[in-house]
Amino acid sequence: MADRAKRSFAVTDLPGFSTIAILVFVALYAPILIMTLYSFNAGQSVASWEGWSLDWYRVAWGNEEVKKATLISLQVAAAAAVLSTALATLAALGTTRRRNFRGQTFIYVMINQPLMVPEIVTAVALLLVTAAIKKATGYSGLGYLIMAHTAFCIPFAYLPIRARLEGMDTTLETAAADLYASSWQTFRRVTLPLLMPGIFAGAMLAFVTSLDDVVITEFIKSPGQDTLPTYMLGQLRRAMKPDVNAISTMLLVFTLVILSAFFLLSRNRK
Amino acid sequence: MKTTLTALALLMAGSGLAHAEGELFLYNWGNYTSPDMIKKFEEKYGVKVTITDFDSNDTALAKVEAGASGFDLVVPSAGFVGIYAEKGLIEELDLSKLPNHKNIAPEWMNVEWDQGRKWSVPWQWGSTGMSVNVKDYTGDINTSSIFMDPPPELQGKINVIPEMGDVLALATMWAGGNVCSEDPEVMKKVRDALLAAKPKWMSMDYSTVEKMTNHDYSATVDWNGSSLRSRLANPDVAYGYPKEGYGLWMDNVVLLKDAKNTENAYLFLDFIMDPENAAMLSAFARYANGISGSEAFMPDDMKSTPELFPPAEFKDKGQFVTVCTGKALDYQKAIWTELQK
Repeated sequence: MADRAKRSFAVTDLPGFSTIAILVFVALYAPILIMTLYSFNAGQSVASWEGWSLDWYRVAWGNEEVKKATLISLQVAAAAAVLSTALATLAALGTTRRRNFRGQTFIYVMINQPLMVPEIVTAVALLLVTAAIKKATGYSGLGYLIMAHTAFCIPFAYLPIRARLEGMDTTLETAAADLYASSWQTFRRVTLPLLMPGIFAGAMLAFVTSLDDVVITEFIKSPGQDTLPTYMLGQLRRAMKPDVNAISTMLLVFTLVILSAFFLLSRNRK
Repeated sequence: MKTTLTALALLMAGSGLAHAEGELFLYNWGNYTSPDMIKKFEEKYGVKVTITDFDSNDTALAKVEAGASGFDLVVPSAGFVGIYAEKGLIEELDLSKLPNHKNIAPEWMNVEWDQGRKWSVPWQWGSTGMSVNVKDYTGDINTSSIFMDPPPELQGKINVIPEMGDVLALATMWAGGNVCSEDPEVMKKVRDALLAAKPKWMSMDYSTVEKMTNHDYSATVDWNGSSLRSRLANPDVAYGYPKEGYGLWMDNVVLLKDAKNTENAYLFLDFIMDPENAAMLSAFARYANGISGSEAFMPDDMKSTPELFPPAEFKDKGQFVTVCTGKALDYQKAIWTELQK
């Protein structure tokens, strides 16, 4: 009886479910679709339609500043994705492949801190620290951006890797240990290959997260280190032209490709 | 992994570190610096200019204040120059290194935030006034009454930009006060007049250029740069300078105290005060620049435009719009909230 009552309470059966779902999806995606549409606008305006054209893609593509910003974005995102995934993998192993220990929840919360603390708080804190380091060392390269992006990308890499580890059957690892594999051999030959889809998924999420960041980057970038998002933000005060739509659309497509790859990889492992 | 780390090390070493000879780091609003003018400067002096964007005065100030920003020159708005100076972030200019300093137009020489221009040189400036379609209204357009007490011909066809600071500055000046007035009498008059006028407006939105061009409305509170673009697309649009007082803004270049390339910075400051180069800045950003004689070098569609160059009778009617504080801000927010209902 209780079982049946539970089963009949499906959220999809509630009145107004599809209406609410459709409204939510419209609210989420309509603005993005409109922006994408206007990136193909022939006219100068971001809000009145004057016919189809690829002109703004040409303008955006021919803009040296955009190219430079894209290059910096990709460099930072690639480095931050590699570093944060490496650290997140170690953290995930450390928090799942051992007996529960005191303060485990605390460690878990600490690792995921960037998900919970407002970005502006982290940004201001990082601004003060990086300024002090810049003063002391004189170094003003991309290292600061890479370091900061690595820090806030760790939870994005950590969560899929940990989920994968928790879903993995430990019998294979036990069997390897039973057959006198050293703990390194077990890790290298058994755990790591099984973990790979999780690691790839984590790296891609980290990459996309770094690529999209504005607030922290805006605060700690050194001269000449505008990334694509901070470059776009800088355009806001002056009249926006559809080339911003074109750049956004390209960024969106790129992000979608990466996220689709993430989805496919995480589906394959099941 | 090893290759990755090596690659990373190379990447980090390749960017930054030692400032090479002949560099200059400019921190400016995005899409605001003429690339042609920068190229001309680079070729003339063999100095490589790196431009970095900011999106608000507050972000720029926060970064400079934190120290070791790495920038030489920053372009804050009028109200912020004093803050930079007070905090000891900027250098008093050595005018002997700036022979073109004399080119600063007389009305921009003794500005309230920098008497004698010892701390900042002009970059671009503009105003907030009225755009009116003169086919619909033939009366006086040089008044804030256009939106504060709309004439019958314009009722129901007026737009007001949803920008609290600019709109309330115009309204306060119209009511006889100064920008950031704390006088309860004046502010009550502002409130009553705005609430009475609102039913006669059509909308409060930002897209003034399209809608004035397409004649969707007949008048709007507007920025001079937008008004200019509307008129170039539709000759019936005219820009009015409210005689009760109109809003002004100006961005200025300041030299940071911790600048590493001070000599190049002086070269640049002097360079942009040359009328020909100032005109290049204006041709790109589409605003006036505050340098005498630059008009002659501007593109034809910017020469003697009433939007960029206020007629003599209105020259002294402008007041700088700053972010108000304390009681004045409380009044503004209360009125604005009521107006949005």
